[in-house]
Amino acid sequence: MKSRSMRLIQGAAVASTLAASVFTFVGGTAAVANAASKKFTVAYVVGAASDPFFLSMKAGASAEAKKLGINLVWQGNPSVYSSATQIPIVQTLLAIKPSALVLAPTDTKALQPLVAQYIAKKIPVFNVDSGDANQSNITSWVTGNNLQGGQAAADALASAMGYAKNCTAASKCVVAIGVSSITTSTDAARLKGFAAEVAKKYPNIKALNPIVSNSQPAVATSGFKQDLAANKVSGIFAIDGTDLEGAAQAILTAGSAAKSIKVVGYDAYATTIKSMQAGKISAIISQQPALEGKDIIDAVYAKLTGKGKISHLTTLANIVLTPANCAKLCATYVYKTA
Amino acid sequence: MSTVETPVASSNEAPPPSPLKRIATYAANQQFILFLVLIGVMIFFDFHNTRFFGTSEFTNLLVDFSEAVLIAAAEMYVITSGGIDLSVGSTIAVSTVVGAYAIQYLEGHHFGEFPSLLVGTFVCAGVGGVVGTINALLITKARLVPFVATLVTLSMGEGLALVFSKGGTVGYDPAAAVWSSTGFWIFRWLTLIVLGITVILGIVLHVSRYGRYNFAIGSNPFAARAAGINVNRHVASVYVLSGVLAGLTGMIWYFNSSGGAPQNGIGNELEAIAAVVIGGVSLVGGVGRFSGIILGVAILTVVHDGLVFINVATTWNEVVVAGFIALAAVLQSLSSGSKRRT
Repeated sequence: MKSRSMRLIQGAAVASTLAASVFTFVGGTAAVANAASKKFTVAYVVGAASDPFFLSMKAGASAEAKKLGINLVWQGNPSVYSSATQIPIVQTLLAIKPSALVLAPTDTKALQPLVAQYIAKKIPVFNVDSGDANQSNITSWVTGNNLQGGQAAADALASAMGYAKNCTAASKCVVAIGVSSITTSTDAARLKGFAAEVAKKYPNIKALNPIVSNSQPAVATSGFKQDLAANKVSGIFAIDGTDLEGAAQAILTAGSAAKSIKVVGYDAYATTIKSMQAGKISAIISQQPALEGKDIIDAVYAKLTGKGKISHLTTLANIVLTPANCAKLCATYVYKTA
Repeated sequence: MSTVETPVASSNEAPPPSPLKRIATYAANQQFILFLVLIGVMIFFDFHNTRFFGTSEFTNLLVDFSEAVLIAAAEMYVITSGGIDLSVGSTIAVSTVVGAYAIQYLEGHHFGEFPSLLVGTFVCAGVGGVVGTINALLITKARLVPFVATLVTLSMGEGLALVFSKGGTVGYDPAAAVWSSTGFWIFRWLTLIVLGITVILGIVLHVSRYGRYNFAIGSNPFAARAAGINVNRHVASVYVLSGVLAGLTGMIWYFNSSGGAPQNGIGNELEAIAAVVIGGVSLVGGVGRFSGIILGVAILTVVHDGLVFINVATTWNEVVVAGFIALAAVLQSLSSGSKRRT
């Protein structure tokens, strides 16, 4: 199917991925060396390996794998969330013949041919966080509910802004939105959930065009400050942790007029929780990455040993952290990066 | 390769100008056209939303300008000396992360806010200096072409920023952000400091012997060497300077994001190069005016910010920027073309 040059490029990509893995993932390499002594080797490929979300997932998955005696080979491009960087990694790992593959696909379709290759070699494939469009080859999928998370964010923001009292048809509440990427499925789903909830319940909210930050907090800050200077903004919805950091920063530096602006956003990073405690953020939608990691390892173990029940789709609820419940919940749900 | 005529020589040889030529001469004065473009773009944005010519928006513009101008100046020095530095963006990332650790450590050990930030600034500049030194060694000792040498440090810096920070933002320092948002009228203290450094860089480039050597080496390194200039030493110093400026930009990003985020600055080398190209600096070296890159950075900042300001989807941003780069490049080729025909 592929031209020769394409294969060469892909070969080079695989080689560089392997080289990178030797340097950056010393832990992962050591795990491969130990493979013989363990019962099962499970390949686990995430989107962007150094995102605190995936780091937290790694903590949950690793602890469970250790408990069950599973050898985990953790891989993923360090920072780029894209199928172009993920495909060579998944392809390379086929060569180590893992007992199972856990995959957080960076594209709903692009990884499917590779998944079929794993299935052909009788290696079961699992999805975590994001999922393949065609689930017929997937044994089990554990994910957060991004659509519901977007809706929850809209509700939290409306309540923080005092929607019933402060937002009217004559003077609508203007909301600025920050996203990391408009092509990532999770961002798109959250935005869709948010927009649907606003359209259904909050007609007096006017949402501005989303700022695209490419996961750079400072770019988000700059964009939010533009929105703040151009409009009388009442609220901000930040679609992930990097945008939420950027939003908190914009509020902090934009002067006294910005003090009344309410911020709601995704991801319980240590920094965003501190911002919420300092009163810059009204609510944080927290996912449960560590639990996603643990649950998918349990599903893998059940499949490999034939013990226990496997449900095809597990959707974990989002946790809404607020200053009121933070003392009780924040320590549990903060993304643990170490 | 580098048979770049000096502007003086070509204007001496110019024949009696035809009306068409005279228009071309105006077009050749890229600074003037860029200035008109800048004013035009600002009026366009204000036409859409009259808050644009307001103090809060101009404060924003100056903050964003100061985030970009030092690496554009660094790129200007490197490019006019005949090289290129692709590593400035990732140097921002790695220096902001390391600087954030240093500040976090000092503040955790009962140093005051101000001394910690001051030390952090030196740490950022130092990290940038180290990256610049690596570039300098790769280029002058290992004889790598600048593109490849700085591509190496680009990747290295990007990776190390992630490794050091473990992916998340290092430190949380709202006090620094609050300080950086103080000042008067449209100026913040931080932007004033950056503007001061920028003015010094411009003067050094166009007035001092160091600047003259820079242009001489960029025009013709062999002639410069024959004239007794220590080309290797000068080239090495330019890359170290570029690294230090990128490191200082890392500290600006620290102020502007309350901490060291490993994503900060990634890819900004292309924006710096775009500003240099828009400013009319020749990519083969030896030719360019510092005022050009100031206008280049100003136009990019106003366009980037203004499109968000008037609520255009940010996905259009890059397309519009591409249009400006094309416009500037065409102006440049028209003007140099009119010289060559003589």
